Amino acid sequence: MSYKCSRCKRDVQLDEYGGVRCPYCGHRVLLKERSRDVKTVPVE
Amino acid sequence: MTEAYDVEFVERGDRNIRFLVRGVTPAFANGIRRAMVADVPTMAIDEVRFIENSSVMFDEQLALRLGLVPLTTPPEGEFAEDDVVTLSIDVEGPGTAYSGDLVTSDDLVRPADENVPIIKLKDGQRLEAEADAVLDRGKDHAKHQGGVAVGYRHLQRVTVGEDISEFEEQEAQIIRGVIEDDGELVLTSEFDHDLSERYPGKEVHVEDVPGAFVFHVETDGSFDATDLVTRAVDTIDSRAADLEEAVQL
Repeated sequence: MSYKCSRCKRDVQLDEYGGVRCPYCGHRVLLKERSRDVKTVPVE
Repeated sequence: MTEAYDVEFVERGDRNIRFLVRGVTPAFANGIRRAMVADVPTMAIDEVRFIENSSVMFDEQLALRLGLVPLTTPPEGEFAEDDVVTLSIDVEGPGTAYSGDLVTSDDLVRPADENVPIIKLKDGQRLEAEADAVLDRGKDHAKHQGGVAVGYRHLQRVTVGEDISEFEEQEAQIIRGVIEDDGELVLTSEFDHDLSERYPGKEVHVEDVPGAFVFHVETDGSFDATDLVTRAVDTIDSRAADLEEAVQL
């Protein structure tokens, strides 16, 4: 899963052992980036 | 509708017209009005594919805003109900994305106005999307409504009576629409909608002219207002023909 650290703005890869923490600066707030997929939305 | 009826223009612009129809029933007049609002097909964006949207608005909100942008609709017969025209937009902040930034794949279908704001973008935000426009009716969604301000009033006939007495104060007599004065059509806005302005010191009597309606038609820019009226009448005509066929079995 790819996230972005909210403090140092670096891309972060999380695995199941490390817990939710940025490996570069130790910040615990990570942001999930929008996926690169094209999103189709109907006008309603 | 077997009797003849005649049409006379009072005001005539591209998007805004006012005309008088004589010799029709109230039911027929209302039928035309309803057809102009709900039954004339117009192009509008129906599906949006977002490639990038880092703006502050949700994709769904932007899709709705794009859907409501009026698009020009080519003459009948150019497009079928399920034809698709693709429009694309690519704007990077800082700045505002306008309807004029939409690039069309078919020049017959393009935004009717260039200056409809879609979203404000801050530095580094970007909107990139593709949209499909389709033909449909106002019945199904308000974005397909070609006539946006459509209405009619009775033509009013004004007869001038006696002078009012010297010591009596004349009261304002407000009416709106179009009046007929000795066969001449006069917009009430010409005398500030107040009959006491036009006929000072006179008694004035106003009555509706039977079977005469003054239509005021305004379009969203999809087509000229005169086009809207003729296309509306055509839809009534074709639906009446369909009904006749269905009833005869």
